[in-house]
Amino acid sequence: MFSKLTRGSVIALAIGMGTAATAQETLSMWARTDVENFLPQVVAAFNATHETQINVQFIPPGELVQKFATAAAGGSAPDILSLDLIYTPAFAAAGQLADLTDLAQALPYFDHLSPAHLQAGSYDGRIYGLPFSADSSVLLWNKDLYAQAGLDPEVGPTDWDKILEQATAVRALGGDIYGYYFSGACAGCNAFTFLPYIWAQGSDIVSEDGTKANIDTPEARAAVELYRSLLAADAIPQGAETDTGTNFFSAFASGNIGIATSGAFAIGILNSQYGEMNYGVTYIPGPDGTPSSFGGGDNFVVTAGTENMEAVGQFIDHIYSVEMQTLMAEFGSLPVRGDVAEQALTGLDARYGVATDAMAQGRTPSTVVYNDIYNSATGPWLQFLQEAIYGDDVDEAAAIAQETIQMILDEAN
Amino acid sequence: MSATDPSAAAPRPARAPAVRSGRRRGSQRRREIAGLLFILPAMALVVTFFLIPLCMTVWMSFHNWPLMGAPRWTGLDNYAAMMKDRRFWNAMNFTVWYSIVATIAIFGVAFPLALFVERTGRATSFYRTAIFLPVVVGFGSASLLWAWLMNVDSGLFSPAAQALGLTERPVNLMATTDGVFWSIIVMVVWKTAGFTMILLMTGLQSVPHDILEAARIDGASRFQQFWRIKLPLMKRTLALALILSVAGSMLAFDQFYIISNGGPRNSTLTAVYWIFSQSFVSFKLGYGAALSMVLLVILVVISLVQLWLLRSPTGDK
Repeated sequence: MFSKLTRGSVIALAIGMGTAATAQETLSMWARTDVENFLPQVVAAFNATHETQINVQFIPPGELVQKFATAAAGGSAPDILSLDLIYTPAFAAAGQLADLTDLAQALPYFDHLSPAHLQAGSYDGRIYGLPFSADSSVLLWNKDLYAQAGLDPEVGPTDWDKILEQATAVRALGGDIYGYYFSGACAGCNAFTFLPYIWAQGSDIVSEDGTKANIDTPEARAAVELYRSLLAADAIPQGAETDTGTNFFSAFASGNIGIATSGAFAIGILNSQYGEMNYGVTYIPGPDGTPSSFGGGDNFVVTAGTENMEAVGQFIDHIYSVEMQTLMAEFGSLPVRGDVAEQALTGLDARYGVATDAMAQGRTPSTVVYNDIYNSATGPWLQFLQEAIYGDDVDEAAAIAQETIQMILDEAN
Repeated sequence: MSATDPSAAAPRPARAPAVRSGRRRGSQRRREIAGLLFILPAMALVVTFFLIPLCMTVWMSFHNWPLMGAPRWTGLDNYAAMMKDRRFWNAMNFTVWYSIVATIAIFGVAFPLALFVERTGRATSFYRTAIFLPVVVGFGSASLLWAWLMNVDSGLFSPAAQALGLTERPVNLMATTDGVFWSIIVMVVWKTAGFTMILLMTGLQSVPHDILEAARIDGASRFQQFWRIKLPLMKRTLALALILSVAGSMLAFDQFYIISNGGPRNSTLTAVYWIFSQSFVSFKLGYGAALSMVLLVILVVISLVQLWLLRSPTGDK
């Protein structure tokens, strides 16, 4: 990858020198390190064909918000950002982002852009973020363990009864082999993989207008009950309870887990680094099989005050081109433009198809207090899951979570 | 310098008293200026890195100060909101409880060790070094090390206990509040007892030998020597060690952030962790500043109470 990167910059440099006579424009771009495996290629391709050059800087995900805030205060914020989509509303609310509504609606394929991204990228009826990279939550199952346990290895779990039944069957193999895995102490992982169990029943933990907490519901309790019954069946390893996300991916990759909640990103890593792994990908189902998914990834945003909007428009056209959508898919990011998704995925692992479908139906919580409610290790979402799944009093856990989330929402509105 | 000064050689009685006092004033003034110059770098550091940030924190605490966007003056709103912030007061309660337990545990281990290494012997310096060694490990690295030791699958404690037949199944120390709490107490004692031990040891060694000898001749037992003579005479060292230990525990953050993430179920959330979380997870810098001010006041009060309790009975400082 390094060589590709250098080659890209050499081309960029050459072009840059060639057009030095005309006014040389540069756009600075920041992105979290999660997109480091494909963004350099996308940018190099852009720089090679455009007068305006883009300079990318990668920032560790945990530091991006702080670093951006400091830079913005000092007037040195980047022009454009690849921003974790859940932060888009908070950034927009703080007045940091440029309004892209007109630019977006003028795109001929606007209706085909990932709805989850646009939902998260909108604030107060205006669009501030456009879909850039995508990752949807899915279930993985280990076909080898299924075969050993006497299950049909080609059919993954399709509803809750099947999850419980198949996880129990795999656990019966004994020893270190367990039926199901989730990262019990990781707030973000569970927003990504546990919320869909609630969504699939047509419910959500926050009302649609974002003013009412809605976690003390039969739907949330039912989802909790699924995990409690998996625990009662001894299908989940002990370490899951305190896994802060370190084993979110590696637990399944170790080959000792029957079913694990995960994301499309895992397909890329499993294929490239765990070639011998024999696994399947399926939707996160509701109790009756209705699929659901968390649409994650990055939004493309522009810092308020950026002047070179023409170049921004060119870059947007560039990332939504079939070539770039294909290139990104190859490196593990799902296509965000629905009308060319099929074309972009041609020839790639068929399992991406499931993840892309999941993405198309994906939801993303859109709130300025995403961190406070869902993502924080000290927030009410994780506390609820830990108390309800591993504690003895689901009622109390739900009541406390309901109250805390309501408090956070009231404060924000 | 005085050797080359011709006036120094002049006969003393010849000098008029007025000139003398004038010269003295002049040299005193010079000394004052020199003194000021000597402390200036330190003052500059204190002003730049303590006083200005402190004033800034006070100023911020009266604002709704988001990490991004414009701050807005809100007066005492942050302080009013804090009164209703149940999660902050829970964290405060936990921090006080932790400080009490940690301080007792540290002293309970450090005092016997100090008595042990106070004597001069061949192996003593080896023991001093060995016991002090964990102190030089940073809190962050120590926490990471213990996070691994406590891991249920790949760590040391749980698999070792199982292999030795002490437990039937792996026991996840991180899953219960007690497991996390007492593991961290053990870690903190391991990490900091060496420092307290050195402090107490110097206190013990500063007790004059003639007093102890006199006591011995008067027939005081070893316990009486310790309780009636050594302990009262090392009050100031005790105060120092106590304040350092309590202040350190009240500001605990690293170990809880790295080992337990405040879990399980937010039960090991400390005050500083909550301030961090409000400031940099919820982006409410103003509120975080207000919480910091309250924690600062609480710490100052606790330190004053300790100083008062351990004041010297004779009244000298």
